[in-house]
Amino acid sequence: MFNRTPKEMNKYWRVGEPMVWLSGAALSLTLLSAAILLLVIMVSGLGVFWPSPLQQLELKDGSLLVGMQTQVEETADHSGMRRQYKIANRDLNGLDFRWIDEAQIVSSSTPADLLVLERAEYGDFFGRLQTLEGKPASLDQLRQALHQVETARAGLSELDQRLIEISYRGEQLRLKLLKIDYHQVAANEPQRIELSAEKQAEADEFERLVKVQSERLNRIHARTAVFSDANGQQKEIVLADILKVYTPNTMSSADKARFYVAKLWELVSGEPRESNTEGGLFPAIFGTVMLIFVMSLFSFPLGVIAAVYLREYAKEGLLVRIVRIAVNNLAGIPSIVYGIFGLGFFVYGIGHSIDVVFFPERLPTPTFGTGGLLWASLTLALLTVPVVIVSTEEALGAIPREMREGSYALGATKFQTLLRVLLPMASPGIMTGLILAMARAAGEVAPLMITGVVKLAPTLPIDGNFPFLHLDRKFMHLGFHIYDIGFQSPNVEAAKPMVFVTALLLVLIVLLMSSVAIRLRNKMKKRYTFGTF
Amino acid sequence: MKPVYLKKVKRNDRLASWAISIGGLAIIFCVIFILVLIVEVSLPLFMSPTARQIARVESGFVSSNVQVLAVGMDDYLETAYTIDAGGTIRFINLADGRELEQIRLRPAEADKRLLAVENFGRLNHVLHWDDGSLSVEQVKFSPFYDAADNNRRSIRHTLESRGEFPAVPQQVEQSLARVNDEGRQTRVDLFADGRLEVQQREVTENFLGEEEVTESSEILELNGAGQLSALVLNDSGTQLYAGTATGELLHWSLEESGEANLVDHLQAFADQRRITALSMVFGDVSLAVGDERGQVSTWFGVRGDSSGKRTLTRIHQLTGHAAPVDKLSHSLRDKTVLSRSGDGLHLDYMTSERFLLGFNPPGGISRYALTARGDGLVALGENGDLLSWRLFIPHPEISLKTLFGKVWYEGYDQPEYVWQSSAASDDYEPKLSLTPLIFGSLKGTFYAMLFAVPLAIFGAIYTSQFARPKLRGMIKPAIEIMAAVPTVIIGFLAALWLAPLIESSLGSVFLSLVLLPAALMLCILLWQAARKLEPLKQVERGYEFLAVIPIIIGAVALASTLGPGLEQWLFAGDLKQWLFSELGTRYDPRNCIIIAFAMGFAVIPIIFTIAEDSLSNVPNSLKAASLALGASRWQTVWRVILPSASPGIFAGTMIGFGRAVGETMIVLMATGNTAIMDLSIFNGMRPLSANIAVEIPEAPVDGSLYRVLFLSAVILFILTFIVNTVAEIVRQRLRAKYGRF
Repeated sequence: MFNRTPKEMNKYWRVGEPMVWLSGAALSLTLLSAAILLLVIMVSGLGVFWPSPLQQLELKDGSLLVGMQTQVEETADHSGMRRQYKIANRDLNGLDFRWIDEAQIVSSSTPADLLVLERAEYGDFFGRLQTLEGKPASLDQLRQALHQVETARAGLSELDQRLIEISYRGEQLRLKLLKIDYHQVAANEPQRIELSAEKQAEADEFERLVKVQSERLNRIHARTAVFSDANGQQKEIVLADILKVYTPNTMSSADKARFYVAKLWELVSGEPRESNTEGGLFPAIFGTVMLIFVMSLFSFPLGVIAAVYLREYAKEGLLVRIVRIAVNNLAGIPSIVYGIFGLGFFVYGIGHSIDVVFFPERLPTPTFGTGGLLWASLTLALLTVPVVIVSTEEALGAIPREMREGSYALGATKFQTLLRVLLPMASPGIMTGLILAMARAAGEVAPLMITGVVKLAPTLPIDGNFPFLHLDRKFMHLGFHIYDIGFQSPNVEAAKPMVFVTALLLVLIVLLMSSVAIRLRNKMKKRYTFGTF
Repeated sequence: MKPVYLKKVKRNDRLASWAISIGGLAIIFCVIFILVLIVEVSLPLFMSPTARQIARVESGFVSSNVQVLAVGMDDYLETAYTIDAGGTIRFINLADGRELEQIRLRPAEADKRLLAVENFGRLNHVLHWDDGSLSVEQVKFSPFYDAADNNRRSIRHTLESRGEFPAVPQQVEQSLARVNDEGRQTRVDLFADGRLEVQQREVTENFLGEEEVTESSEILELNGAGQLSALVLNDSGTQLYAGTATGELLHWSLEESGEANLVDHLQAFADQRRITALSMVFGDVSLAVGDERGQVSTWFGVRGDSSGKRTLTRIHQLTGHAAPVDKLSHSLRDKTVLSRSGDGLHLDYMTSERFLLGFNPPGGISRYALTARGDGLVALGENGDLLSWRLFIPHPEISLKTLFGKVWYEGYDQPEYVWQSSAASDDYEPKLSLTPLIFGSLKGTFYAMLFAVPLAIFGAIYTSQFARPKLRGMIKPAIEIMAAVPTVIIGFLAALWLAPLIESSLGSVFLSLVLLPAALMLCILLWQAARKLEPLKQVERGYEFLAVIPIIIGAVALASTLGPGLEQWLFAGDLKQWLFSELGTRYDPRNCIIIAFAMGFAVIPIIFTIAEDSLSNVPNSLKAASLALGASRWQTVWRVILPSASPGIFAGTMIGFGRAVGETMIVLMATGNTAIMDLSIFNGMRPLSANIAVEIPEAPVDGSLYRVLFLSAVILFILTFIVNTVAEIVRQRLRAKYGRF
């Protein structure tokens, strides 16, 4: 081609083949960036729980270092490489991570006797077992002792449960008394005397149980073991604080896989620890599911009805055009505007009015007049209605005219046709809309931040106390969890693995839902294509 | 069929159609309702203040021959008091005009009379006695619940003496005095012969714990100024200002005891008008100046030149009077300035230069006082009537100018657009300019669109026109899945993964911007030569985008290996440092490059999907005709299909724009959230949406900040409403043209 005449080249450009390639490049860039995003989350998220070997390094200054390697990069002066190690032992070192220049390292080994302790406080501990309750012991003995402590603690959980119940009842009694105060019931009314006595009884019982509990806890907490870190510094650790002990350097791949699965299970079923940077995500997952569920109850009917109106009942004209513009605007309003609307209307408007009418005795402590599950769900329902409308409309539009005409010809009314013919046929499309709306709700954070999400909710929105479903409670959410631990946690570096894991979980949930929805829709499209053309 | 049954069916049908129509129209209602609600919350910002007269006590409670020198009122607007020239303070119940108590201020010396009373701080009165001595008395009101009176709230009043200043021998024209909380007493006297004397008395504790008293007295240097016509001392007694009959302003610092220092002396008014009244503004930074022409202005020291010396500069001009201003005072809650003249009393807000309220009751106003909370005004008419008003001034600091224009805030060297909603002390000026936030929103959106629009549109062109149908069936769902990725995840990756990556390899990023197109062009030319070979002719069409992937990856890899070397060679190893020293641009780790990538990523699928739909819905006949006439496939797309689909592409771009403007989580995490106005791509910003998310949890309900945040939501709503409505109308037209979409 280099021997072509300028005229030929000119024509080549005019024909525009390079532009085709460039537009191809635009598409590849887009797809590549999406792939990279998923890849980064996958790689960073999946590897978090896989136990990596615990290395013991001998440094040039003679000290020892035990840690898990996390990163390698070039040093700032380009003279060599440096490695980042997670050295844990926050209570001894103050830091979880340390950078070491490779030039500083004399030798490295992976001794079999190095332990990793997962603790309830101060993060992990890397080191060796010295003594167990004053006597030298093996790892197996430590495990046995931990098991005993575990059993003893399980015995306490029943006590905990009773304490929670009593304190809940006490709180209910307090609110009842507050109500009595509000209605200015005289001090000698039998009702008041009865309630006060009851409350006193509950308080006495509570105190007695707390005493029993603290006694037993003290007994458990008396059992300790002494561990030493890389340089022999000793640390006494209460056995009850140790959640898990393992030796990554001696674990086989099967052991590691088992460990990995156990950690995953802990992730989805456990409670968060250490200001959410460790432990599980159960409350966040539960909160997200509850939110999606309550939201669907509102957005699903409204969306389907609006779509049916647009497609089946309305006559083409100005009104329909305005409704369509409204639908598109509803889809286009920034989510933070929904949030602020939810705050102004639901929380401070309706919520406050409910408080004034039904719970005046508790004011100024708000009951419904503060962010909560119900208000967040309602706000999100408004936000996701357009998704349901668009999908449902599409599905209704794809049903061939013959179906309707056949139904009318048999004497069915419009409503009967809708209920018996159209909606069943459109159900995959409606499902698509619902699933897409749910996926949207799972990933939306901004409006929730101001209508009821919290970083740590003390109680779940569902429990065994009447009325079982507590729509006024604040809740946790996976998306907000990411924002919170990634940006508002005191120890961002230590929180990073957890952010990636949470992100991975959220991405998986959302992508799974959306791909199911998209598949459903495409299937439905295919089923009716013959009819439309 | 039974007629009853038929009837029932028909009734159901009718009911259903009603219900469904209502449900459909509810959508319109929702949109309107959202707008109405957020507008309703933000509207009170612009409401004019009102005052309601709550009490009027007819004259007669003081004997007409004793002049009242000062009045005051408690925070509950129930008890007022007057101090008269006879040295008596009377407390009056405003509800029924009953006199509650009468106290002689100096009971031992019954013949002494008061010459003047000056007020400062919270109900502190400096009493100027006719022998030249001064005393400082504070009136205190405290509410209590009266057990004897069925637990009704009553108000107890007490008097507390805060300081005494002995008599001076000479004839005094005007005296000022301050007692501050550390026990420092300052007295300023203007003598009849024009001398100005300062006396300070300070009680300090030395290292042995003994009390030491330092006293000083000095005559202030007047620097040849004209006759002093107004004096004011700030609340702590450390700054003294004076105005002259020839329009000069003087400022002394009395910070160091005994070493008064003339900080500033200037000709404030070129026309030498007489300065008739002075007052500090709450916070003691600004000085309010009233003159004989009835004008009120506020001044504070501004660093004019490089020497760092502050000179008094006129900052705000408030609404004037028709007659000379004879008294100025300030609110204890905000920057409200009260000015009185022959034509009545004005309340003006300094920052917003808003005229709040005017009072001109039939009897005139001789004495007045604003309550400490700023919501009540008590005034004594010339005819001896005592009046009180309840004031409703919800948002004095808000005006269109403070929201959108440049405002000269206290302590700033020039007028600026500033968003700073809170500060450590409560006497600060709230700075609620929405301009930097709107600027931030538009800036982030601009860079994101710059990145997203070409990629999305060209990608859509390729997918709809050139890709194999089978591949197309895979690309579209892939892009839709990309749209489903939650923005919180995009934002967190951008901030925690992309931002450090780009910061550490800035050189490579720029290099790949050059290398990528270059490599692409090179490969296209090479391919043009290679495809002459017979076996390669088969592979070409429909798979180009796959063939390009290795080239892109290769180019980026090459850039990242060459990048550091290039940076070393051209910019001495540190591009960020070079940017700062050579171009004066600061590099923020969270900047517009990150936003362009992250928000672009979020917007691409939206534009792509709509553009792709409209491109593939262009009738096939058009394409066929063009190809049949001998146009190449690109020419067909560029000249025939693109123009037909352009409304759809436009609509998609608009909707993408709307999404980018309102996007919250990405910008919240990846912009750094500093409200600066700087076009540089290396800086962050603070968009409206992120600002709402950051500030609303701390905004007190129904306060100014709360309402301003709702106002910014209104702006976002209207912006996206316009964009979405235009886009939808365009799409509706397109739909009508080409059938179903």
